[in-house]
Amino acid sequence: MNLAQREPSPFKTYDEPERRRWMSSPFLAGMLFLLPSLVLFGVFLFYPMMRTIYLSLYLIDTQGEPLVFVGVENFINLFQSSSFQTSAKATGLFVLYTVPIGLILALVLALLANEKVKGIGFFRTMFSSTMGMSVAASSVIWMFMYNPSIGIMNRLLSGIGMSEVQWLLDPQFALMSVAAATIWMNTGFTFLILLGGLQNIDQQLYESARVAGVSDWYKLRKITLPMLSPTLFFVTVVSLINSFQTFGQIDILTKGGPMESTNVIVYSIYKDAFINYNVGSASAQAVLLFFCILIVTVLQFKLTERKVHYQ
Amino acid sequence: MKKLLILMMGIFVLILGACSSNTSEANDQEEASSGSASGKAEVLFWHAMSGELETALNKLVDEFNASHDNIEVTAIFQGTYEEALTKLNTVAGTEDAPTIMQTFEVGTKYMIDTGHIQPVQKYIDEEDYDTSQWEENISNYYSVNGEQYSMPFNSSTPVLIYNKDAFEAAGLDPEKAPMTYSELQEAAAKLTTDDQYGFSILNYGWFFEELVAVQGGLFVNGENGREGQATEAVFNSEEGVNVFNLIHAMYEDGTFYNAGQNWDDMRAAFQSGRIAMYLDSSAGVKSMIDNSPFEVGVSYLPVPDDTERQGVIIGGASLWMASAAEEAEQQAAWEFMEYLATPDVQANWHVDTGYFAINPAAYEEEVVKEQWEQYPQLKVTVDQLKETKATTATQGALISVFPEARQKVVNAMESLYQGADPQEALDRAVEETNQALEVNAKKSGN
Repeated sequence: MNLAQREPSPFKTYDEPERRRWMSSPFLAGMLFLLPSLVLFGVFLFYPMMRTIYLSLYLIDTQGEPLVFVGVENFINLFQSSSFQTSAKATGLFVLYTVPIGLILALVLALLANEKVKGIGFFRTMFSSTMGMSVAASSVIWMFMYNPSIGIMNRLLSGIGMSEVQWLLDPQFALMSVAAATIWMNTGFTFLILLGGLQNIDQQLYESARVAGVSDWYKLRKITLPMLSPTLFFVTVVSLINSFQTFGQIDILTKGGPMESTNVIVYSIYKDAFINYNVGSASAQAVLLFFCILIVTVLQFKLTERKVHYQ
Repeated sequence: MKKLLILMMGIFVLILGACSSNTSEANDQEEASSGSASGKAEVLFWHAMSGELETALNKLVDEFNASHDNIEVTAIFQGTYEEALTKLNTVAGTEDAPTIMQTFEVGTKYMIDTGHIQPVQKYIDEEDYDTSQWEENISNYYSVNGEQYSMPFNSSTPVLIYNKDAFEAAGLDPEKAPMTYSELQEAAAKLTTDDQYGFSILNYGWFFEELVAVQGGLFVNGENGREGQATEAVFNSEEGVNVFNLIHAMYEDGTFYNAGQNWDDMRAAFQSGRIAMYLDSSAGVKSMIDNSPFEVGVSYLPVPDDTERQGVIIGGASLWMASAAEEAEQQAAWEFMEYLATPDVQANWHVDTGYFAINPAAYEEEVVKEQWEQYPQLKVTVDQLKETKATTATQGALISVFPEARQKVVNAMESLYQGADPQEALDRAVEETNQALEVNAKKSGN
């Protein structure tokens, strides 16, 4: 229990026994080290979270002051509102559109960029370059590309003789268009992490495989993917959470429209809290989103962690 | 190890100390500056004017400060109207609140309900200020039950903007813009070609409100909320349905272009020749004339056939005084507001920005006359406002859930492009707005 008894104490210059015991208790010393981050987390994460849960149970006036305790009424109103159901559906679809395709795309790019050929550094830089772009800047670029009257997308379509599409104005296409832009934005980050994972795989495994003379496909399935699984697991969890929390590109590209088809939950929270001044409803949505992400992440750990191979 | 620990703790204490000492220093500075100025009243002015508008506004503030030794106005940009209002929320009623706050027209009811504002009527009464010099149709919006709550400042109205070159190419008279719905539909049909649409309206609630008001239709009950609290939306009336029927019919005919919700997209569509006529804010007229590669015409909002034109509601923003500010500060703020309303300041403001002059005497100033000679279209926007009849319809609705109501209207507009029935779409928007009104009534305890 007492570290000082087994090892030379790092604090032995202090003579007072009281002080010495206090300082050398590993728990307290540990807490002391954690203090800075605990304070920061507390101020910027834990307190706001508790406050959100608290606010979600109240009727709030337009200036954000809680008025009356209403219990779960905010939640009941949400479940009954068709607007919230549209939001939930949009969020779910958005996650489905962006995460699997984004991961597969980044994985393919990472596998390509992992080859040792001349000039590969150029391609690695290119593939990861979207990471250096802010969401705002890239959204504006995509906005111009999607512009129905002057954008490149419609020029391409009319170039191959197809009729024009109102990318961001047609409820059928809007969510997919935003999803496509998001995949492009997120690929850089996912690619970089996956490439790092690939480079960490022990080369001896591949050498043994070469001696055994197995096919490339076999190597991919039996060596690369299992060895990459911790990294893959990490990027899946992170991408999923990111995708649930998408805001910037929605705000710039569609503002939740048309007909709320891209009104994902985070955007809906923003609108309710800062445009409509319904802080109670916004807090309730935030709490629901939190638990939704929590459940999905826990499920991911429960269901897929067994398949993750740690060295 | 121990040294490291102490070092880290030391750094941490320093950081915390630095944070708190910063704020106390800032406070000291504030106190020092307000104290040392010895009677120099400080006016903090929060606004939402960005880009060229901010430059124009700062010019006005600098001129005021230079000509008033005992007052120092500090103008601070706080983001869009919505963002600024959110920031105001966190400080309203405290010492840190701005003395003057610029808020958009639909925030009027919201500002009154906060209870942290001082109606400017007090100073109008005290100084016997002559409000009849103001443009009545503008100041009307910001007066409730005969009391002037805020000082009108930057105001704009909607206008029909059209491409004169396209009119000529289609065999239409470029000097004669469509004034009624059937004229509009006819012109749009002639203007529509393979790559050009006749007409467009931005999917934005303001234009719908204006098109209803120009027919004399109300947005909410209680005479647009001007006589008592509005409890129900009424824009699914005949007037509202007229507007939706027009959009629906024109979209089905293929003469109406869905320009989305983004102002810049719509303007780009007009400038690139995609649409030949559209509705825009009068504040956008000048740059549209400057930046279009063709002749631009400006005209009044169209009305249904055989309907008497009632006029337009003003958009834009007004200036609010904080009730928490000290007497001397309020007095200084009022002086600044008075200054802003003088004809020559308003003339410059009108010329620089395209916003209306709240003081019509400004239109007699030389700078304005020169400008109008160069851009005769600007006069059309002023005339449309002058001809407006002062009714509760053109005074504009007074509800605190305006932003939400607008979202519902936009949804309904967008559903038209998916083939929704105009009456049903409007009924749904009204129902959803009613819910928002109900929730809000619960909040304010009514």
